[in-house]
Amino acid sequence: MSRTTVTKSPPKMGPAKTWTSTGRSKITSTDALRVVILVTSALLALIPIVWLVLGSFKTPAELSERPPTLLPETWGLSNYTEAMTRFNFVSYLTNSVIVTLAATLLTLAINSMAAYALAKYNFRGKNGLFLLTLATIMIPLQVILLPVYQVVASLGMVNTLWGLIIPAAATPTGVFILRQYMLSIPDELIEAARVDGAGEFRIFVRVVLPMCRPALAVVAILSIMWRWNDFLWPLVVAQSESVYTLPVALARFTAEETVPFNLIIAMSVVTVLPVIILFLFFQRQIVTGIANTGIK
Amino acid sequence: MTAQTATRLRQRKAPLKMRLVPYLFLLPNMAIFGVFTVWPAINGFNISMYSSSNGRTFRWEGAGNYQRILTDEDFWGIVRNTVVYALSFVLLSVVVGVMLAVLVDQQRRGRTFFRSVFFIPVLISPVVAGLVWNWMLERQNGLINTFLGSLGIPEIPWLVDNNLAMVVVIGVGTWMQVGFYMLILLAGLQSIDPSVYEAARIDGASRWRQFISLTFPLLQPSILVVVVLATIHGFQAFDFIYTLTGGGPVGATTLIVQFIYENGFVSPIRYGVASAGSVLLFCAIFGLTIVNWMIGRKREAA
Repeated sequence: MSRTTVTKSPPKMGPAKTWTSTGRSKITSTDALRVVILVTSALLALIPIVWLVLGSFKTPAELSERPPTLLPETWGLSNYTEAMTRFNFVSYLTNSVIVTLAATLLTLAINSMAAYALAKYNFRGKNGLFLLTLATIMIPLQVILLPVYQVVASLGMVNTLWGLIIPAAATPTGVFILRQYMLSIPDELIEAARVDGAGEFRIFVRVVLPMCRPALAVVAILSIMWRWNDFLWPLVVAQSESVYTLPVALARFTAEETVPFNLIIAMSVVTVLPVIILFLFFQRQIVTGIANTGIK
Repeated sequence: MTAQTATRLRQRKAPLKMRLVPYLFLLPNMAIFGVFTVWPAINGFNISMYSSSNGRTFRWEGAGNYQRILTDEDFWGIVRNTVVYALSFVLLSVVVGVMLAVLVDQQRRGRTFFRSVFFIPVLISPVVAGLVWNWMLERQNGLINTFLGSLGIPEIPWLVDNNLAMVVVIGVGTWMQVGFYMLILLAGLQSIDPSVYEAARIDGASRWRQFISLTFPLLQPSILVVVVLATIHGFQAFDFIYTLTGGGPVGATTLIVQFIYENGFVSPIRYGVASAGSVLLFCAIFGLTIVNWMIGRKREAA
Protein backbone atom coordinates (compact mmCIF):
# COMPACT_ATOMS: atom_id res chain seq x y z
CA MET A 1 0.00 0.00 0.00
CA SER A 2 2.69 2.49 0.90
CA ARG A 3 4.89 3.40 -1.95
CA THR A 4 6.83 5.83 0.17
CA THR A 5 8.04 3.38 2.75
CA VAL A 6 9.56 0.97 0.30
CA THR A 7 13.26 1.66 0.28
CA LYS A 8 14.50 1.85 -3.24
CA SER A 9 17.18 -0.66 -3.98
CA PRO A 10 20.42 0.90 -5.12
CA PRO A 11 19.92 1.68 -8.79
CA LYS A 12 23.07 -0.06 -9.91
CA MET A 13 24.42 -3.57 -10.02
CA GLY A 14 27.62 -4.64 -8.33
CA PRO A 15 28.70 -4.72 -4.73
CA ALA A 16 27.30 -2.32 -2.15
CA LYS A 17 29.05 0.94 -1.47
CA THR A 18 31.62 1.07 1.26
CA TRP A 19 34.17 3.64 2.27
CA THR A 20 36.94 1.63 0.72
CA SER A 21 35.29 0.55 -2.51
CA THR A 22 36.71 2.21 -5.57
CA GLY A 23 35.49 3.02 -9.03
CA ARG A 24 32.01 4.17 -9.82
CA SER A 25 30.66 3.62 -6.33
CA LYS A 26 33.14 5.69 -4.35
CA ILE A 27 31.92 8.44 -2.09
CA THR A 28 31.93 11.53 -4.25
CA SER A 29 31.99 15.17 -3.30
CA THR A 30 28.32 15.33 -4.34
CA ASP A 31 27.52 12.76 -1.68
CA ALA A 32 29.44 14.70 0.92
CA LEU A 33 27.75 17.97 -0.04
CA ARG A 34 24.35 16.30 0.14
CA VAL A 35 24.98 15.00 3.64
CA VAL A 36 26.20 18.43 4.76
CA ILE A 37 23.06 20.13 3.45
CA LEU A 38 20.80 17.47 4.95
CA VAL A 39 22.42 17.68 8.37
CA THR A 40 22.31 21.49 8.36
CA SER A 41 18.64 21.48 7.40
CA ALA A 42 17.90 18.88 10.07
CA LEU A 43 19.57 21.12 12.66
CA LEU A 44 17.52 24.09 11.47
CA ALA A 45 14.36 22.04 11.80
CA LEU A 46 15.15 20.81 15.27
CA ILE A 47 16.99 23.63 17.07
CA PRO A 48 13.86 25.65 17.98
CA ILE A 49 12.23 22.58 19.51
CA VAL A 50 15.36 21.55 21.41
CA TRP A 51 15.77 25.14 22.60
CA LEU A 52 12.19 25.13 23.86
CA VAL A 53 12.59 21.86 25.75
CA LEU A 54 15.90 22.99 27.28
CA GLY A 55 14.29 26.27 28.26
CA SER A 56 11.48 24.53 30.08
CA PHE A 57 13.96 23.36 32.73
CA LYS A 58 15.56 26.75 33.32
CA THR A 59 14.69 29.01 36.23
CA PRO A 60 13.50 32.58 35.52
CA ALA A 61 16.93 33.80 36.60
CA GLU A 62 18.65 31.52 34.10
CA LEU A 63 16.26 32.57 31.35
CA SER A 64 17.14 36.23 31.75
CA GLU A 65 20.88 35.63 31.86
CA ARG A 66 23.03 37.36 29.27
CA PRO A 67 24.28 35.76 27.13
CA PRO A 68 21.74 32.93 27.30
CA THR A 69 22.99 29.66 28.77
CA LEU A 70 22.78 26.58 26.63
CA LEU A 71 21.97 23.87 29.15
CA PRO A 72 19.87 24.31 32.29
CA GLU A 73 21.78 24.16 35.58
CA THR A 74 19.46 21.52 36.95
CA TRP A 75 16.86 19.38 35.26
CA GLY A 76 14.18 20.23 37.80
CA LEU A 77 10.52 20.11 36.86
CA SER A 78 9.61 23.17 38.91
CA ASN A 79 8.32 25.09 35.88
CA TYR A 80 5.93 22.28 35.10
CA THR A 81 4.68 21.86 38.65
CA GLU A 82 4.32 25.60 39.08
CA ALA A 83 2.41 25.91 35.81
CA MET A 84 0.03 23.20 37.02
CA THR A 85 -0.82 25.08 40.20
CA ARG A 86 -0.56 28.73 39.17
CA PHE A 87 -3.53 28.77 36.81
CA ASN A 88 -6.12 26.44 35.36
CA PHE A 89 -3.55 24.63 33.34
CA VAL A 90 -5.18 21.27 33.99
CA SER A 91 -8.49 22.59 32.74
CA TYR A 92 -6.96 23.82 29.44
CA LEU A 93 -5.27 20.47 29.03
CA THR A 94 -8.55 18.65 29.72
CA ASN A 95 -10.41 20.88 27.27
CA SER A 96 -7.83 20.21 24.58
CA VAL A 97 -8.04 16.46 25.16
CA ILE A 98 -11.85 16.40 25.20
CA VAL A 99 -12.18 18.54 22.08
CA THR A 100 -9.56 16.57 20.18
CA LEU A 101 -10.96 13.15 21.06
CA ALA A 102 -14.66 13.99 20.72
CA ALA A 103 -14.14 15.81 17.43
CA THR A 104 -12.09 12.96 16.03
CA LEU A 105 -14.69 10.35 17.03
CA LEU A 106 -17.48 12.44 15.55
CA THR A 107 -15.51 12.97 12.34
CA LEU A 108 -14.79 9.25 12.03
CA ALA A 109 -18.44 8.34 12.57
CA ILE A 110 -20.08 10.78 10.17
CA ASN A 111 -17.32 10.76 7.56
CA SER A 112 -17.26 6.99 7.29
CA MET A 113 -21.04 6.79 6.98
CA ALA A 114 -21.06 9.40 4.24
CA ALA A 115 -18.11 7.76 2.51
CA TYR A 116 -19.92 4.41 2.55
CA ALA A 117 -22.99 5.88 0.89
CA LEU A 118 -20.84 7.57 -1.75
CA ALA A 119 -18.76 4.48 -2.40
CA LYS A 120 -21.23 1.63 -2.32
CA TYR A 121 -24.72 2.89 -3.21
CA ASN A 122 -26.26 4.24 -6.37
CA PHE A 123 -28.68 7.05 -5.82
CA ARG A 124 -29.80 10.29 -7.30
CA GLY A 125 -27.53 13.26 -6.57
CA LYS A 126 -24.56 11.09 -5.68
CA ASN A 127 -22.04 12.75 -7.97
CA GLY A 128 -23.31 16.20 -7.13
CA LEU A 129 -22.93 15.61 -3.40
CA PHE A 130 -19.45 14.18 -3.85
CA LEU A 131 -18.34 17.15 -5.95
CA LEU A 132 -19.85 19.58 -3.47
CA THR A 133 -17.90 17.88 -0.69
CA LEU A 134 -14.65 18.14 -2.63
CA ALA A 135 -15.24 21.73 -3.68
CA THR A 136 -15.46 22.91 -0.07
CA ILE A 137 -11.79 22.09 0.38
CA MET A 138 -11.42 25.52 -1.19
CA ILE A 139 -13.52 27.16 1.52
CA PRO A 140 -11.30 27.18 4.57
CA LEU A 141 -12.77 28.27 7.87
CA GLN A 142 -10.77 31.50 7.75
CA VAL A 143 -12.93 32.63 4.85
CA ILE A 144 -16.29 31.93 6.48
CA LEU A 145 -15.27 32.76 10.03
CA LEU A 146 -17.98 35.37 10.64
CA PRO A 147 -20.98 33.56 9.13
CA VAL A 148 -20.03 30.30 10.88
CA TYR A 149 -19.66 32.19 14.13
CA GLN A 150 -23.16 33.61 13.62
CA VAL A 151 -24.60 30.13 13.17
CA VAL A 152 -22.79 28.89 16.26
CA ALA A 153 -23.91 31.93 18.24
CA SER A 154 -27.54 31.51 17.20
CA LEU A 155 -27.38 27.88 18.35
CA GLY A 156 -26.04 29.05 21.71
CA MET A 157 -22.79 27.16 21.29
CA VAL A 158 -20.38 30.03 21.95
CA ASN A 159 -18.24 29.30 25.01
CA THR A 160 -19.14 25.64 24.95
CA LEU A 161 -16.96 22.69 24.01
CA TRP A 162 -19.65 21.62 21.53
CA GLY A 163 -19.05 24.86 19.70
CA LEU A 164 -15.43 23.80 19.31
CA ILE A 165 -16.21 20.20 18.41
CA ILE A 166 -19.11 20.16 15.96
CA PRO A 167 -18.70 22.85 13.26
CA ALA A 168 -15.59 21.47 11.54
CA ALA A 169 -16.39 17.78 12.09
CA ALA A 170 -17.64 17.04 8.58
CA THR A 171 -14.23 17.18 6.91
CA PRO A 172 -14.17 16.83 3.12
CA THR A 173 -10.75 15.18 3.23
CA GLY A 174 -11.94 12.48 5.61
CA VAL A 175 -14.85 11.64 3.33
CA PHE A 176 -12.48 11.56 0.37
CA ILE A 177 -9.86 9.29 1.98
CA LEU A 178 -12.48 6.86 3.30
CA ARG A 179 -14.45 6.76 0.06
CA GLN A 180 -11.36 5.96 -1.98
CA TYR A 181 -10.55 3.15 0.41
CA MET A 182 -14.08 1.76 0.46
CA LEU A 183 -14.18 1.59 -3.34
CA SER A 184 -11.63 -1.22 -3.07
CA ILE A 185 -13.91 -3.37 -0.90
CA PRO A 186 -15.53 -6.02 -3.13
CA ASP A 187 -19.29 -5.63 -3.56
CA GLU A 188 -19.69 -9.40 -3.21
CA LEU A 189 -18.88 -9.23 0.48
CA ILE A 190 -21.68 -6.74 1.07
CA GLU A 191 -24.06 -8.74 -1.13
CA ALA A 192 -23.23 -11.92 0.76
CA ALA A 193 -24.04 -10.24 4.07
CA ARG A 194 -27.33 -9.01 2.58
CA VAL A 195 -28.23 -12.51 1.48
CA ASP A 196 -27.57 -13.65 5.04
CA GLY A 197 -30.25 -11.18 6.06
CA ALA A 198 -28.10 -8.58 7.78
CA GLY A 199 -29.52 -5.04 7.87
CA GLU A 200 -27.77 -2.24 6.03
CA PHE A 201 -26.44 -0.50 9.11
CA ARG A 202 -25.30 -3.79 10.59
CA ILE A 203 -23.37 -4.57 7.41
CA PHE A 204 -21.72 -1.18 7.60
CA VAL A 205 -20.66 -1.63 11.22
CA ARG A 206 -19.77 -5.32 11.16
CA VAL A 207 -18.42 -5.86 7.66
CA VAL A 208 -17.30 -2.58 6.13
CA LEU A 209 -15.81 -0.64 9.05
CA PRO A 210 -13.48 -3.42 10.23
CA MET A 211 -12.06 -3.62 6.71
CA CYS A 212 -11.37 0.12 6.64
CA ARG A 213 -9.13 0.16 9.68
CA PRO A 214 -6.04 1.50 7.85
CA ALA A 215 -7.99 4.39 6.29
CA LEU A 216 -9.79 5.11 9.56
CA ALA A 217 -6.40 5.25 11.29
CA VAL A 218 -5.12 7.81 8.78
CA VAL A 219 -8.21 10.01 9.16
CA ALA A 220 -8.05 9.71 12.95
CA ILE A 221 -4.40 10.66 13.19
CA LEU A 222 -4.73 13.61 10.81
CA SER A 223 -7.78 14.80 12.72
CA ILE A 224 -6.03 14.55 16.09
CA MET A 225 -3.01 16.47 14.82
CA TRP A 226 -5.15 19.20 13.37
CA ARG A 227 -7.60 19.58 16.26
CA TRP A 228 -4.92 19.59 18.93
CA ASN A 229 -3.06 22.47 17.25
CA ASP A 230 -6.12 24.32 15.95
CA PHE A 231 -6.13 27.96 16.97
CA LEU A 232 -8.28 30.48 15.11
CA TRP A 233 -11.63 28.79 15.66
CA PRO A 234 -11.05 28.05 19.38
CA LEU A 235 -9.79 31.62 19.77
CA VAL A 236 -13.10 32.90 18.44
CA VAL A 237 -15.46 30.49 20.19
CA ALA A 238 -13.66 29.98 23.52
CA GLN A 239 -13.98 33.48 24.90
CA SER A 240 -14.25 32.61 28.57
CA GLU A 241 -11.32 31.08 30.32
CA SER A 242 -13.16 27.92 31.35
CA VAL A 243 -13.26 26.65 27.76
CA TYR A 244 -9.74 27.68 26.69
CA THR A 245 -7.75 25.03 24.90
CA LEU A 246 -3.97 24.94 25.32
CA PRO A 247 -3.08 27.01 22.22
CA VAL A 248 -5.69 29.64 23.10
CA ALA A 249 -4.46 29.90 26.68
CA LEU A 250 -0.86 30.14 25.47
CA ALA A 251 -1.58 32.87 22.94
CA ARG A 252 -3.72 34.91 25.33
CA PHE A 253 -1.22 34.70 28.17
CA THR A 254 1.65 35.62 25.88
CA ALA A 255 -0.22 38.63 24.56
CA GLU A 256 -1.21 39.80 28.04
CA GLU A 257 2.33 39.34 29.39
CA THR A 258 0.91 38.56 32.81
CA VAL A 259 2.17 35.01 33.06
CA PRO A 260 5.90 34.48 33.69
CA PHE A 261 7.78 33.30 30.63
CA ASN A 262 9.18 30.18 32.29
CA LEU A 263 5.62 28.91 32.79
CA ILE A 264 4.70 29.72 29.19
CA ILE A 265 7.61 27.60 28.03
CA ALA A 266 6.58 24.64 30.17
CA MET A 267 3.05 24.92 28.85
CA SER A 268 4.38 25.07 25.27
CA VAL A 269 6.30 21.84 25.75
CA VAL A 270 3.16 20.12 27.02
CA THR A 271 1.35 21.43 23.93
CA VAL A 272 3.98 20.18 21.53
CA LEU A 273 5.05 16.81 22.90
CA PRO A 274 1.88 14.70 22.52
CA VAL A 275 1.73 15.27 18.76
CA ILE A 276 5.40 14.51 18.27
CA ILE A 277 5.04 11.30 20.29
CA LEU A 278 1.97 10.33 18.28
CA PHE A 279 3.90 10.94 15.08
CA LEU A 280 6.82 8.80 16.17
CA PHE A 281 4.42 5.93 16.86
CA PHE A 282 2.30 6.24 13.71
CA GLN A 283 4.88 7.64 11.33
CA ARG A 284 4.19 5.19 8.55
CA GLN A 285 0.43 5.77 8.46
CA ILE A 286 0.84 9.54 8.59
CA VAL A 287 3.43 9.65 5.83
CA THR A 288 1.39 7.37 3.57
CA GLY A 289 -1.81 9.24 4.32
CA ILE A 290 -0.32 12.57 3.34
CA ALA A 291 1.53 11.21 0.33
CA ASN A 292 -1.64 9.60 -1.01
CA THR A 293 -4.00 12.49 -0.53
CA GLY A 294 -1.76 15.52 -0.46
CA ILE A 295 -4.01 17.04 2.13
CA LYS A 296 -3.67 17.59 5.82
CA MET B 1 -44.02 -12.96 -16.65
CA THR B 2 -40.47 -13.25 -17.91
CA ALA B 3 -37.53 -13.37 -15.58
CA GLN B 4 -36.48 -9.98 -16.83
CA THR B 5 -39.62 -8.16 -15.84
CA ALA B 6 -39.59 -10.00 -12.56
CA THR B 7 -36.21 -8.60 -11.63
CA ARG B 8 -37.24 -5.22 -12.90
CA LEU B 9 -40.28 -5.36 -10.68
CA ARG B 10 -38.20 -6.41 -7.75
CA GLN B 11 -35.73 -3.67 -8.43
CA ARG B 12 -38.48 -1.13 -8.55
CA LYS B 13 -40.17 -2.39 -5.43
CA ALA B 14 -37.38 -3.44 -3.10
CA PRO B 15 -35.47 -0.15 -3.31
CA LEU B 16 -38.37 1.79 -1.73
CA LYS B 17 -36.80 1.19 1.63
CA MET B 18 -33.38 0.66 0.16
CA ARG B 19 -33.51 3.94 -1.69
CA LEU B 20 -33.61 5.84 1.57
CA VAL B 21 -30.61 4.04 3.03
CA PRO B 22 -27.80 5.97 1.32
CA TYR B 23 -29.45 9.28 2.22
CA LEU B 24 -29.65 8.22 5.85
CA PHE B 25 -25.98 7.34 5.80
CA LEU B 26 -25.19 10.74 4.34
CA LEU B 27 -27.48 12.69 6.60
CA PRO B 28 -25.32 13.42 9.69
CA ASN B 29 -22.31 14.46 7.65
CA MET B 30 -24.27 16.56 5.19
CA ALA B 31 -26.34 18.18 7.93
CA ILE B 32 -23.25 19.44 9.76
CA PHE B 33 -21.65 20.27 6.46
CA GLY B 34 -24.67 22.22 5.29
CA VAL B 35 -25.23 24.13 8.52
CA PHE B 36 -21.59 24.95 9.26
CA THR B 37 -19.99 25.23 5.82
CA VAL B 38 -22.32 25.53 2.86
CA TRP B 39 -24.90 27.85 4.39
CA PRO B 40 -22.28 30.16 5.99
CA ALA B 41 -20.40 30.26 2.67
CA ILE B 42 -23.54 31.54 0.96
CA ASN B 43 -24.57 33.75 3.84
CA GLY B 44 -21.10 35.31 3.87
CA PHE B 45 -21.93 37.24 0.72
CA ASN B 46 -25.15 38.42 2.32
CA ILE B 47 -23.52 39.57 5.57
CA SER B 48 -20.96 41.57 3.64
CA MET B 49 -23.79 43.88 2.57
CA TYR B 50 -24.54 44.86 6.17
CA SER B 51 -22.66 46.67 8.87
CA SER B 52 -22.69 46.06 12.59
CA SER B 53 -20.65 47.17 15.55
CA ASN B 54 -21.65 44.34 17.88
CA GLY B 55 -22.50 41.37 15.66
CA ARG B 56 -26.19 41.43 16.69
CA THR B 57 -27.89 44.43 15.12
CA PHE B 58 -27.28 45.00 11.44
CA ARG B 59 -27.70 47.90 9.07
CA TRP B 60 -28.01 47.56 5.30
CA GLU B 61 -25.00 48.95 3.48
CA GLY B 62 -25.24 47.51 -0.01
CA ALA B 63 -21.83 47.78 -1.60
CA GLY B 64 -20.80 50.31 1.04
CA ASN B 65 -18.47 47.96 2.88
CA TYR B 66 -16.60 47.16 -0.29
CA GLN B 67 -16.38 50.80 -1.17
CA ARG B 68 -15.04 51.49 2.30
CA ILE B 69 -12.28 48.91 2.30
CA LEU B 70 -11.30 49.32 -1.32
CA THR B 71 -10.64 53.01 -0.73
CA ASP B 72 -8.95 52.36 2.60
CA GLU B 73 -5.17 52.70 2.46
CA ASP B 74 -4.67 50.42 5.46
CA PHE B 75 -6.56 47.67 3.72
CA TRP B 76 -4.38 47.94 0.63
CA GLY B 77 -1.36 47.70 2.90
CA ILE B 78 -2.78 44.45 4.25
CA VAL B 79 -3.46 43.18 0.74
CA ARG B 80 0.12 43.99 -0.18
CA ASN B 81 1.47 42.17 2.91
CA THR B 82 -0.70 39.15 2.16
CA VAL B 83 0.36 38.96 -1.47
CA VAL B 84 4.05 39.39 -0.59
CA TYR B 85 3.77 36.69 2.05
CA ALA B 86 1.78 34.24 -0.05
CA LEU B 87 3.96 34.60 -3.17
CA SER B 88 7.23 34.24 -1.28
CA PHE B 89 5.83 31.38 0.74
CA VAL B 90 4.71 29.43 -2.34
CA LEU B 91 8.01 30.03 -4.10
CA LEU B 92 10.15 29.10 -1.09
CA SER B 93 7.99 26.07 -0.34
CA VAL B 94 8.44 24.70 -3.85
CA VAL B 95 12.18 25.44 -4.05
CA VAL B 96 13.09 24.20 -0.58
CA GLY B 97 10.57 21.37 -0.77
CA VAL B 98 11.98 20.05 -4.06
CA MET B 99 15.52 20.44 -2.77
CA LEU B 100 14.85 18.53 0.43
CA ALA B 101 12.82 15.86 -1.36
CA VAL B 102 15.56 15.24 -3.94
CA LEU B 103 18.27 15.14 -1.27
CA VAL B 104 16.28 12.81 0.98
CA ASP B 105 15.41 10.61 -1.98
CA GLN B 106 19.06 10.22 -2.96
CA GLN B 107 20.24 9.67 0.57
CA ARG B 108 20.36 5.97 1.18
CA ARG B 109 21.54 5.97 4.75
CA GLY B 110 19.14 7.56 7.21
CA ARG B 111 16.49 8.46 4.68
CA THR B 112 13.60 7.78 7.05
CA PHE B 113 15.38 9.71 9.80
CA PHE B 114 15.74 12.87 7.70
CA ARG B 115 12.21 12.57 6.40
CA SER B 116 10.88 12.46 9.96
CA VAL B 117 13.07 15.30 11.18
CA PHE B 118 11.93 17.62 8.39
CA PHE B 119 8.33 16.75 9.16
CA ILE B 120 8.50 17.53 12.87
CA PRO B 121 8.00 21.33 12.52
CA VAL B 122 4.71 20.56 10.71
CA LEU B 123 3.46 18.89 13.88
CA ILE B 124 4.29 21.77 16.18
CA SER B 125 1.41 23.93 17.34
CA PRO B 126 1.73 27.11 15.24
CA VAL B 127 1.12 29.18 18.34
CA VAL B 128 4.16 27.58 19.97
CA ALA B 129 6.22 27.90 16.79
CA GLY B 130 5.59 31.65 16.72
CA LEU B 131 6.37 31.91 20.40
CA VAL B 132 9.68 30.05 20.18
CA TRP B 133 10.93 31.94 17.14
CA ASN B 134 9.96 35.23 18.76
CA TRP B 135 12.04 34.24 21.76
CA MET B 136 15.02 33.11 19.65
CA LEU B 137 14.92 36.28 17.54
CA GLU B 138 14.84 38.65 20.50
CA ARG B 139 17.05 41.57 19.67
CA GLN B 140 19.33 41.79 22.65
CA ASN B 141 19.37 38.43 24.26
CA GLY B 142 17.97 36.06 21.66
CA LEU B 143 19.72 32.85 20.70
CA ILE B 144 20.22 33.92 17.10
CA ASN B 145 21.69 37.34 17.72
CA THR B 146 23.91 35.89 20.45
CA PHE B 147 25.17 33.28 18.00
CA LEU B 148 25.70 35.87 15.26
CA GLY B 149 27.39 38.15 17.77
CA SER B 150 29.93 35.45 18.55
CA LEU B 151 30.78 35.50 14.83
CA GLY B 152 31.27 39.25 15.03
CA ILE B 153 27.98 40.19 13.36
CA PRO B 154 26.25 43.15 15.00
CA GLU B 155 22.78 42.91 16.53
CA ILE B 156 20.06 42.50 13.90
CA PRO B 157 16.64 44.07 14.67
CA TRP B 158 14.73 41.01 13.39
CA LEU B 159 11.27 41.82 14.69
CA VAL B 160 11.70 45.58 14.95
CA ASP B 161 12.43 46.47 11.35
CA ASN B 162 9.39 46.32 9.04
CA ASN B 163 11.02 44.50 6.15
CA LEU B 164 13.05 42.16 8.30
CA ALA B 165 9.92 41.22 10.24
CA MET B 166 8.23 40.21 6.99
CA VAL B 167 11.29 38.17 6.01
CA VAL B 168 11.12 36.45 9.40
CA VAL B 169 7.41 35.71 9.02
CA ILE B 170 8.00 34.20 5.57
CA GLY B 171 10.93 32.18 6.87
CA VAL B 172 9.08 30.82 9.89
CA GLY B 173 6.00 30.05 7.78
CA THR B 174 8.14 28.03 5.40
CA TRP B 175 9.96 26.36 8.29
CA MET B 176 6.62 25.20 9.66
CA GLN B 177 5.15 23.80 6.45
CA VAL B 178 7.90 22.78 4.08
CA GLY B 179 8.21 19.30 5.59
CA PHE B 180 4.63 18.63 4.58
CA TYR B 181 5.25 19.64 0.96
CA MET B 182 8.48 17.65 0.97
CA LEU B 183 6.46 14.51 1.76
CA ILE B 184 4.18 15.06 -1.23
CA LEU B 185 7.16 15.72 -3.51
CA LEU B 186 9.04 12.75 -2.13
CA ALA B 187 6.10 10.49 -2.97
CA GLY B 188 6.12 11.99 -6.48
CA LEU B 189 9.85 11.33 -6.86
CA GLN B 190 9.50 7.74 -5.72
CA SER B 191 6.80 7.07 -8.28
CA ILE B 192 9.18 7.97 -11.12
CA ASP B 193 10.30 4.84 -12.93
CA PRO B 194 14.03 4.36 -12.13
CA SER B 195 14.67 3.01 -15.62
CA VAL B 196 14.45 6.49 -17.15
CA TYR B 197 17.53 7.41 -15.13
CA GLU B 198 19.27 4.27 -16.29
CA ALA B 199 18.93 5.47 -19.88
CA ALA B 200 20.15 8.95 -19.00
CA ARG B 201 23.16 7.55 -17.21
CA ILE B 202 24.10 5.44 -20.19
CA ASP B 203 23.91 8.59 -22.28
CA GLY B 204 26.33 10.16 -19.84
CA ALA B 205 24.01 12.87 -18.55
CA SER B 206 25.31 14.67 -15.47
CA ARG B 207 23.25 14.65 -12.27
CA TRP B 208 22.25 18.27 -12.77
CA ARG B 209 21.27 17.53 -16.36
CA GLN B 210 19.23 14.55 -15.15
CA PHE B 211 17.46 16.75 -12.65
CA ILE B 212 16.61 19.47 -15.18
CA SER B 213 15.47 17.31 -18.05
CA LEU B 214 14.06 14.27 -16.23
CA THR B 215 13.23 14.76 -12.57
CA PHE B 216 11.78 18.23 -12.84
CA PRO B 217 9.34 17.57 -15.72
CA LEU B 218 8.28 14.21 -14.27
CA LEU B 219 7.70 15.84 -10.90
CA GLN B 220 5.35 18.50 -12.35
CA PRO B 221 2.10 16.89 -11.11
CA SER B 222 3.37 16.80 -7.51
CA ILE B 223 4.70 20.35 -7.82
CA LEU B 224 1.27 21.45 -9.00
CA VAL B 225 -0.34 19.90 -5.92
CA VAL B 226 2.19 21.72 -3.73
CA VAL B 227 1.57 25.03 -5.51
CA VAL B 228 -2.19 24.70 -5.08
CA LEU B 229 -1.98 23.76 -1.41
CA ALA B 230 0.74 26.32 -0.59
CA THR B 231 -1.33 29.06 -2.22
CA ILE B 232 -4.32 28.18 -0.05
CA HIS B 233 -2.14 27.88 3.07
CA GLY B 234 -0.30 31.09 2.24
CA PHE B 235 -3.46 33.15 2.10
CA GLN B 236 -4.67 31.58 5.35
CA ALA B 237 -1.58 32.34 7.43
CA PHE B 238 -2.50 33.68 10.82
CA ASP B 239 -1.83 31.57 13.92
CA PHE B 240 1.98 31.60 14.13
CA ILE B 241 2.11 35.29 13.19
CA TYR B 242 -0.20 36.04 16.12
CA THR B 243 2.50 34.98 18.59
CA LEU B 244 5.54 35.77 16.42
CA THR B 245 4.99 39.45 15.63
CA GLY B 246 1.33 40.02 16.49
CA GLY B 247 1.09 41.61 13.05
CA GLY B 248 3.63 44.28 13.91
CA PRO B 249 5.74 46.29 13.89
CA VAL B 250 2.99 48.82 13.13
CA GLY B 251 1.03 46.46 10.93
CA ALA B 252 3.97 45.46 8.75
CA THR B 253 3.14 41.76 9.06
CA THR B 254 -0.63 41.98 9.43
CA LEU B 255 -2.20 39.67 6.85
CA ILE B 256 -5.79 39.42 5.70
CA VAL B 257 -6.96 36.73 8.15
CA GLN B 258 -5.76 38.79 11.10
CA PHE B 259 -7.60 41.76 9.59
CA ILE B 260 -10.79 39.70 9.42
CA TYR B 261 -10.35 38.39 12.96
CA GLU B 262 -9.63 41.77 14.48
CA ASN B 263 -12.41 43.62 12.72
CA GLY B 264 -14.87 40.83 13.46
CA PHE B 265 -14.03 40.06 17.07
CA VAL B 266 -11.76 42.64 18.68
CA SER B 267 -13.28 45.99 19.54
CA PRO B 268 -13.87 48.31 17.83
CA ILE B 269 -15.84 45.74 15.85
CA ARG B 270 -16.42 46.54 12.18
CA TYR B 271 -18.38 43.51 11.10
CA GLY B 272 -19.21 44.67 7.60
CA VAL B 273 -15.62 45.48 6.77
CA ALA B 274 -14.49 42.12 8.10
CA SER B 275 -17.02 40.18 6.04
CA ALA B 276 -16.28 42.17 2.89
CA GLY B 277 -12.62 41.27 3.47
CA SER B 278 -13.61 37.60 3.81
CA VAL B 279 -15.47 37.63 0.51
CA LEU B 280 -12.45 39.16 -1.22
CA LEU B 281 -10.20 36.52 0.36
CA PHE B 282 -12.53 33.80 -0.83
CA CYS B 283 -12.45 35.19 -4.36
CA ALA B 284 -8.66 35.33 -4.27
CA ILE B 285 -8.30 31.73 -3.09
CA PHE B 286 -10.95 30.46 -5.46
CA GLY B 287 -9.56 32.35 -8.46
CA LEU B 288 -5.97 31.33 -7.81
CA THR B 289 -6.87 27.68 -7.34
CA ILE B 290 -8.64 27.68 -10.69
CA VAL B 291 -5.74 29.48 -12.38
CA ASN B 292 -3.24 27.03 -10.88
CA TRP B 293 -5.20 24.06 -12.15
CA MET B 294 -5.58 25.57 -15.60
CA ILE B 295 -1.86 26.24 -15.89
CA GLY B 296 -1.23 22.68 -14.73
CA ARG B 297 -3.68 21.30 -17.29
CA LYS B 298 -2.10 23.26 -20.09
CA ARG B 299 1.35 22.02 -19.12
CA GLU B 300 0.11 18.45 -19.11
CA ALA B 301 -1.48 18.86 -22.52
CA ALA B 302 1.58 20.48 -24.04
